[in-house]
Amino acid sequence: MGMSAGGGASSLNNEINVTPMIDVLLVLLIIFMMIVPMSRKAIDTQLPDPNPQPVAPTVVPDQIVLEVLPDDKYAINKEPVEKAQVFARLKEIYDPRPEKIIFIKGDTTVKYEYVIWAMDQSRGAGVKVIGVPPKN
Amino acid sequence: MGMSVGGGGVKAEPNVTPMIDVMLVLLIIFMITVPQINAGFTAVPPQGQNLKPHPEEDGDQVLGIDDQGRYYLNKRPIRNEDLETLVRDIYGQEREDYIMYVKAHKDLQYLKVVDALDVLSRGGVRVAALITEQAPGTESLVESDRIIGSGGGK
Repeated sequence: MGMSAGGGASSLNNEINVTPMIDVLLVLLIIFMMIVPMSRKAIDTQLPDPNPQPVAPTVVPDQIVLEVLPDDKYAINKEPVEKAQVFARLKEIYDPRPEKIIFIKGDTTVKYEYVIWAMDQSRGAGVKVIGVPPKN
Repeated sequence: MGMSVGGGGVKAEPNVTPMIDVMLVLLIIFMITVPQINAGFTAVPPQGQNLKPHPEEDGDQVLGIDDQGRYYLNKRPIRNEDLETLVRDIYGQEREDYIMYVKAHKDLQYLKVVDALDVLSRGGVRVAALITEQAPGTESLVESDRIIGSGGGK
C-alpha cells in the first residue's frame, strides 16, 4: 500500500500517538500532587517554663537526662554510653518505667543533627515526652 | 502510526488534545508551586526515623533557621532580634495551641537552635515541633505514629 500523503482517502492517520505522553504526564502530575501536601513530620519537644516557680530547685531524683556530648559521645544521667548502645540502654530504662519523660541536653557545640538523632532514638525507645532544658 | 479502524475514516478515538492541555497546565502549576513553598529559605532538616506526623494546617507557625543561623518566620526573613517580639505577638494571645514548628538546618550548631528555643519559650511557645525528614526506607517504631501516618490525617 502506498502511503500517499495527499489525497482525500482517510485511511492514513497522521496524528501523533499521544497516549504514552498522557501516561507520563499523569504520573508526573500525581507525583507533584503528592509532594505538595506531603505530611510534615516532626519531633515534639516541651519547652521549659520561662517563669519557673520558686520551688523548682528540688531536682526530681529519678529523671532521665540524656546528654549529647561533643565528638559524638553520649551520656545518660552522667554515665557515658556508647553511641551504639544508646538505644538498647534507653529501651532497658523505659520499658519498665511508667513515666516516659526524658530530658535531652545537647552540648552547645554539637551539631543539631546529633541532638535530633538522640531525640529520635528516645522516641523509638518509648519516650513520650521530650524536654529541652534551657541553656545555662 | 495507527491506521484508523474500519473504512470510511470514522475515528473512534476521543479527542485528547484538550485533556493534554489541562494536564500540562496543572503540571506546570505544580512544578512552579513546589519551589515557591520554600522560596528564600533553604534549610535541610535532619533525618530521623521515629517521627510524629504533623499534617500542615492553616494556623501553623513555622520558624526556619537556615545554615547561617538566620531566622525566618513563616518563610519571611526576620531580624534575629525581632523574634521574641514577633513570637510574643502571636503566642501572647489566646490560641488553640501553643506549638511552633522549627525547621532548622541539620549542620547548625546546637547552640543556635537552643538559643531560638529559649526565645520561643520566653515568647510563650509551649511545644516546639522540630521538623525532621523521614529517613528513606524507614518507618517509625512508635505505633501511634504509623496509625496517623498511614491513616491519612489529611
